[in-house]
Amino acid sequence: MDIICKGIKAGYGKTEVLKGIDFTVRSGEKVFIGGANGSGKTTLLRVLAGIIPHEGEVLIGGKDVSSMKRKEVARLIALMPQTSDIYFPYTVYETVLLGTYASSGSMVFANRASGAEYAQKCMEDCGVAELKDRHLDELSGGQLQRVLLARTFAQGSPFLFLDEPGNNLDIKYRAELCDKLNTWSSGKTGEIDNTLVAVFHDLEQAKRCCTRAVMLKEGRVIFDGDITDAMKPGMLMKIYDFDVASYMA
Amino acid sequence: MTKKGTGLKIALSAVLCLFILILAIRQGSVYISLKDLFGIIGGHITGKGTPDGIEPMMDSIFWTIRMPRAIMAFLVGGALSLSGACMQALLQNPLASSYTLGVSSGASLGAAAVLILEISVPFLAGFMLPFAGFVFGLATVIAALLLASAIDRSVSNTTVVLIGMVLSLFVNGMMNFLSTLYSDHSKQLILWLMGSFSARGWKHCAILFPVCVVCFVFLMLMSRKLDIMSFGDLQAQAMGVDAKKTKIAAVLVCSLLTGVSVAFTGVIGFVDLAAPHVVRKIFGPAHKLVLPMSFIYGGAFMALCDLISRTLMSPREIPVGAVTALIGAPFFAYVFFASRRKR
Repeated sequence: MDIICKGIKAGYGKTEVLKGIDFTVRSGEKVFIGGANGSGKTTLLRVLAGIIPHEGEVLIGGKDVSSMKRKEVARLIALMPQTSDIYFPYTVYETVLLGTYASSGSMVFANRASGAEYAQKCMEDCGVAELKDRHLDELSGGQLQRVLLARTFAQGSPFLFLDEPGNNLDIKYRAELCDKLNTWSSGKTGEIDNTLVAVFHDLEQAKRCCTRAVMLKEGRVIFDGDITDAMKPGMLMKIYDFDVASYMA
Repeated sequence: MTKKGTGLKIALSAVLCLFILILAIRQGSVYISLKDLFGIIGGHITGKGTPDGIEPMMDSIFWTIRMPRAIMAFLVGGALSLSGACMQALLQNPLASSYTLGVSSGASLGAAAVLILEISVPFLAGFMLPFAGFVFGLATVIAALLLASAIDRSVSNTTVVLIGMVLSLFVNGMMNFLSTLYSDHSKQLILWLMGSFSARGWKHCAILFPVCVVCFVFLMLMSRKLDIMSFGDLQAQAMGVDAKKTKIAAVLVCSLLTGVSVAFTGVIGFVDLAAPHVVRKIFGPAHKLVLPMSFIYGGAFMALCDLISRTLMSPREIPVGAVTALIGAPFFAYVFFASRRKR
């Protein structure tokens, strides 16, 4: 199953952020979406997940995302937003369990009990099982990030869209996150190969988790190919307008 | 919270609520024993009439005046709190309510128009004022939603709240203009605006009760969606909830609850903010508990406030809206600051 974008334009109010994007995500791929601040990475993820209005077409398995029901999209794509405001203090378990909403009653979770079991597994995988009964407003930034990651996994979707998942995580958890993503990416959900599309600001993490890079600049794709080519000094200079290689040396 | 702990809290809440309801029926210038009260209720339910040894006047006071009034207060308190709990989740704002979207302003304008212009529709008889209040309240919310949709395709919370507030202010301005032009009616209008359960009978309960049941069932079926909406529109969309459709459906249900309540009793504030807040402190934020418990707590709180309103300065009656604010505001402040200190 592929996700195909054709001529995507999108923005907020009168500001056009994406100015015509064409590319395809094939199932089983591990795609890094990179670019400087404001280049359109977050907007692109939201368009791919059918969350914000856009011009052009986003086809998921041949179906236009705009014509699909939200639940149907969420069963295929789990999007973890960059920022997550917490307004009411749900417990960690309640939060992760809500992730199973889209797939409840479907083939993924036939009933509530199997959803609860899966939520427990996701909490364990993301290292938050021991925080199960804690309230969200009692967690540190890193703990909250891991809880939201567990909730995203709990959707049980084959396409995982992560917007800066390493935010607030210390180096140990960043390394664990990469391992977790690599293990997950090598598996399948139902008949579909697991597919990762992620935005990272940490290029080292991007290299460890992804094999393909789609680099954006001012709302346009300026590179699409192997991630090792994207990380070459000349390309990074072109993308960030900054000598990244010297900075990282 | 363990299941056993939650069960105990629910049981205690139900007992407290029943206690307050019975208290609200029994207390007043005429007092009745529990045995006689249950005798009267039993007599009417079984159709046997007034039991022996109970004066017909007592039967009339308790069955036709006190009971429907207390039950009406309970239903209105419950309806407003249920609507408040739902709106707070939808707008991710613990201080939101249907009033934020202009229901009360719209209802007030409708009532003012009926009083001032002396409009009457024969088949509505005594229900003209509540009917106009309800229709105008609902119309204001629909106008707010339509305007919000036209301005912002995603119907974001900020747009909804801002449009609601702008419409509220506009409608309030129109009402002030009307009451200045027709100052003879201003006293009547002020009384309606402060809310009262005086002279509310079974016929009012018979309308409000099914509305509450239908809206409650509808919102309970949405409880998981409301939990997800509590995380904001973006996260809700990502998790498979159509934020726009959910918001519009729930706002209309909340407006129905608030509109019918306001229409029967006038504007009574505060309960819709305080009850859900207290309930979340006790039971946590999950809506499968927040919704029913808000109804129970809001209902009990309103029945208690109405009891105070009619007994504190008896035979004079204090507007119940003033009592809810006088009791509710310090209590709300205490709960809020106590929880902050604890944290």
